[in-house]
Amino acid sequence: MGKSGHGKRSYSVNANDYKLLEEIGYGASATVFRAIYVPYNEVVAIKCLDLDRCNSNLDDIRREAQMMSLIDHANVVRAFCSFVVDRNLWVVMPFMAEGSCLHLMQTAYPDGFEEPVICSILKESLKALEYLHQHGHIHRDVKAGNILLDTNGVVKLADFGVSACMFDSGDRQRSRNTFIGTPCWMAPEVMLPEKGYNFKADIWSFGITALELAHGHAPFSKYPYMKVLLMTLQNAPPGLDHDRDKKFSKSFKEMIAMCLVKDPAKRPTAEKLLKHSFFKHAKPPELSVKKLLADLPPLWNRVKTLQLRDDAQLALKLLPSAQQEAISQNEYKRGVSAWNFDIEDLKAQAALEDQD
Amino acid sequence: MPNFLKTILKFKSKLKSKSKKKIRTPGDKVRRVRELLILLNDNNNVDHGPNWVEEMKELGKYFADIKFTLYGTSEAEPVPEACAQVTQEFFQENTFRLLIICLSKLDLEARKDATQVVANLQRQQVHSRLIACEYLENNIDLIDVLVSGYEDHRLALHYGNMLRECIRHQTIAKYALETHLFKFFDYIQLPDFEISSDAAATFKELLTRHKSTVSEFLSKNYDGFFREFNTKLLQSAVYITKRQAIKLLGDILLDRSNSATMVRYVSSKDNLMILMNLLREPSRPIQLEAFHIFKLCVANKNKPHEITAILIANRSKLLRFFSNFTLDKEDQQFEADKAQVVKEIAELEPKEIR
Repeated sequence: MGKSGHGKRSYSVNANDYKLLEEIGYGASATVFRAIYVPYNEVVAIKCLDLDRCNSNLDDIRREAQMMSLIDHANVVRAFCSFVVDRNLWVVMPFMAEGSCLHLMQTAYPDGFEEPVICSILKESLKALEYLHQHGHIHRDVKAGNILLDTNGVVKLADFGVSACMFDSGDRQRSRNTFIGTPCWMAPEVMLPEKGYNFKADIWSFGITALELAHGHAPFSKYPYMKVLLMTLQNAPPGLDHDRDKKFSKSFKEMIAMCLVKDPAKRPTAEKLLKHSFFKHAKPPELSVKKLLADLPPLWNRVKTLQLRDDAQLALKLLPSAQQEAISQNEYKRGVSAWNFDIEDLKAQAALEDQD
Repeated sequence: MPNFLKTILKFKSKLKSKSKKKIRTPGDKVRRVRELLILLNDNNNVDHGPNWVEEMKELGKYFADIKFTLYGTSEAEPVPEACAQVTQEFFQENTFRLLIICLSKLDLEARKDATQVVANLQRQQVHSRLIACEYLENNIDLIDVLVSGYEDHRLALHYGNMLRECIRHQTIAKYALETHLFKFFDYIQLPDFEISSDAAATFKELLTRHKSTVSEFLSKNYDGFFREFNTKLLQSAVYITKRQAIKLLGDILLDRSNSATMVRYVSSKDNLMILMNLLREPSRPIQLEAFHIFKLCVANKNKPHEITAILIANRSKLLRFFSNFTLDKEDQQFEADKAQVVKEIAELEPKEIR
C-alpha cells in the first residue's frame, strides 16, 4: 500500500485512547489541543469542532475531513483519523510543535523574518499549494496563521476549514463564487462574487503572505475590515517598497509582484512560480527555519501569553481595528460564507473609480 | 557514477522506450492503462515482475493524465473529442471493471485520480448517449462491489465517491435503493467520521435524488424503512446520527413527491412521540428540524384521535415549551409557523377525542 501507511490503520477512533492536554489554538467553533495518543505514547494535535455550532449543513465538514484524510504530501497537514465524541468532531492530526508563523512573529519577530527564512517557508508552502491545486483543491485561506512549523524546521500548510474542491462531484466547476477567506489576504476577484475565482486566488494570498512574513503583518492589516476590501479593489496592488524595503532582494520583490497582479489570468500557477529564481537557492528549512526557534518557551505557553495579551488589549481597546475585527471575526470563522455586507455598494464604488 | 555509464544507461532506456508502442492519444493511454491493470490483476504473488515499480509509476502517471484530459487543468479547458475518446475506450472491454477490482492495489495518488476519472465518466455523453449508464446497467454487480467498499477502510472513500456518481443514473439508483439501502443504516453509524459521513451522504442521495423512484420505494417499503429509521437513527444515543437523520427525514417528508408517505408518517402516534422527544433534545439544530415535522403532525386536518389526545395531554407543557423556543436570528417564517402550531394546540377540543 501507500508509502505513507495510508493502507494500514494506525490511530484508533476511540476517544479513550487520547488524553487532551493544553489548548494550542482557539476559534469560535473549534479548539485545537495538544494531546497524547496513549497506545503509542505519542503527541498529536486534536481539533475539536462543536458540531452544534455548525449550522444546518455538515457536508462541508465531511469534505474537509475526507480531504484531510486523503492527503499525502510532506508540506500539507493531514488528518490521521476523525470521529465524533458527543457533540464534537475530533480530528486527529500531527502535532506541529512550534505553532504557526503568525504566532512566532507575534512572540519573537514582530517586524518579520529575514529573507532566507522567508524564502524557505514560502518555498515549502508553495509546494503544498502545487500539490493541492493539482488535486483540484483551492485552499482559500493562505496566510502566516495557517503555515505551521515543527521543531525540526518542517513547514506545513494547514486548516482547510474553507477550502473548496474544484473537482467536486465529477464536474469541473468553472469557478467558485463563495465569498470566503480572511479580508487582508483575499484576492480582488474573490471579493466580487459574480466573477468567480479559481486556483489563482491562492496565488494572490500567497503574495500577501510573503509581505506578511517580510513585515510582520499583512499590508492593510491596520485598517478596518470594509476599508481593506475597498483598498484591495481600488488601490494598486501592495508590494515591497523600493526604498523602505532595501534589505530585500530584487528577485523577492519580483516574485511578490508576480503574485499580486489583479488579473488572475496573469498570475503564475504554483508550479510555474516554484521555478522562479527567488526559490532557486532556498535553503532547506531544517537549516534556516530551525534557527528561529531556539530559546523560545513551549508553544502552549506562547499561545497562553498571546491569548492573555489579546484579551487585555481588547479590553483596553488598544488593538488596531483590523486586528480587533479579526478577533471578533473569529466567532464567525466557520460561517464566513454567510457574511452579508453590501457588495452592490462596493461594486458601484469600484465602477465609479473605473470611470475616473 | 562515471559519465560513460550514465550515457549507456540513457541509451538503454531510450532503446527500451522506442521498443514500446507509441502512446500518443488519450485513447492510447486508456488502452495502456488496461494492459497495466491486467498485469496488476493477474499478479497476486509477492514477487512482482522486474519492471513492477516502473509499471506502477506508469499507471499512476496515466491516471493523472486522463484526469487532466477529462477535467482540464488550471491553464487549459478540456477538449470534447478527447473526452469522448477516453469515455468510449474506458467502457470497451471492461477497463472500468478492472479498475474497480484493482483499485486497492493502486497507491493513494493513483486511487484518488482514478476515483475522479470514474466520477467524471458518469457525465460524459458520446453521441448524446450516456455510455456509463448503459455499461452499469449491463454490469450491475459492480454496484454491489462499490457498496461493499464501506466495509473496507482503505477503499471506503474512493468507492463511496464513485458510487454517489453512479447513482446519478436513475436506473442504477433504483437498483441500489432496492438491493442495498438497508445496509446503510449500519454504515452511517460506523465510528470513522470520514466513512460514516460519506455513507450518510450516499444514503441521502439515494433517498432524495430521483423523486419518482424514491416515492415508489417508500410506499412499497414503508413499514420496514421507517421501523429501521426510527429505531436505529432517530432514537440512537449518538448525537450526530440523530442530527443527520432528523434533517434527512424533513427533506424526505417535505418533498411534494412523497406527500402520501408524509401523511402516513405524521398520522402515527409513535412517530409523534419520537418527534416530541427530539424537541426536548439539548441541541438547537435537532430541535429545529424536529419542529419542522412536528408542525405537520399538528397541522394535519385528519389527526387520529390518539394524536389529539397526546397533544391535549401535553398542552400546557407544549405551550410553555414554545414560548421559550426562539432562534438567535430573526426568522419570520419560523415565527409564523410557531404561532400557527401554538394556536392549533391551544384550540384543540377534548371532544374531538372519542
